[in-house]
Amino acid sequence: MEVEITLRVDGIEHTLTADTRTTVLDALQCGACTVLLEGKRANSCLALAVAHQGADIVTAAGLARDGNVHPRRRLFIQHDAFQCGYRTPGQMVSAVGMLREADCGSPSAVSGRRDGDDVALDQKEIRERMSGNLCRCGAYANIVSAIAEVARR
Amino acid sequence: MKPFRYDRAQDMSGAVAMLAAAPRGALLGGGTNLVGLMKLEVATPDVLVDVRHVISDRVEELPVGGLRIGGAIPNSDLAARPPTRVRYPVLSEALLSGASGQLRHLATVAGNLLQRTRCVHLQDITTPRNKREPWSACSAEEGFHRQAVIGWSEH
Repeated sequence: MEVEITLRVDGIEHTLTADTRTTVLDALQCGACTVLLEGKRANSCLALAVAHQGADIVTAAGLARDGNVHPRRRLFIQHDAFQCGYRTPGQMVSAVGMLREADCGSPSAVSGRRDGDDVALDQKEIRERMSGNLCRCGAYANIVSAIAEVARR
Repeated sequence: MKPFRYDRAQDMSGAVAMLAAAPRGALLGGGTNLVGLMKLEVATPDVLVDVRHVISDRVEELPVGGLRIGGAIPNSDLAARPPTRVRYPVLSEALLSGASGQLRHLATVAGNLLQRTRCVHLQDITTPRNKREPWSACSAEEGFHRQAVIGWSEH
């Protein structure tokens, strides 16, 4: 059943005619398992595009600043923190979203009981907060060290 | 996934009317459980009635004690908001121990209550499963991992 769907992707509005079964992942055609949906990390494969009419979506491509490589992406390169084509953009978006959540004092299962305005992103926190991306390619240890370096800055 | 029509409710009475007109329809919140089951064709609604925008996403403390939790509040928000976090830390911790940040941002409290059984046989439409088709059999009794360790029912 076809419907007209409008999504704002990386700052640009797109209108497409698509089946109601189209997920945000299908609509984007960019293979990122995690996107920022209205500023928050979300699984693009489980979000029906039609249910997110007009939503603001940020993908890994949208993280680039003025055509330059996002500093966090550079750290992923330096730390050899790469997985497959789906997961690496997802991990990068997840890292950006996770750092933003930590900045806002969002609790996690690790720091849940603390007052939490100041979340110290140690290895345990990073592992817990980044646990939403699974990939058989591995490289988790390097992703944690890349994010730890960002968090220290 | 089977084709379906998508209806977004504008208000509560509209949602009720939409659902009443769709006997094989389903309510959509965050979709984190339902969409997965639709992909597997375990759930095959012909209409999705999206109620995320018409039910409350607030959480408030009641003067008599307790919390009133809106059905559309995402799990991550319920865990983080002060009434839960400060006064009901066990609830906050339980929410944060479930799933991942990505899922908790989408998942709603009402949707959580409507989650289907986490059983591999429910998700595998090639095996009989009472929960999908009452009286068909319980594959978990003898099947993969013998998940029905405590018991099973015919429906």
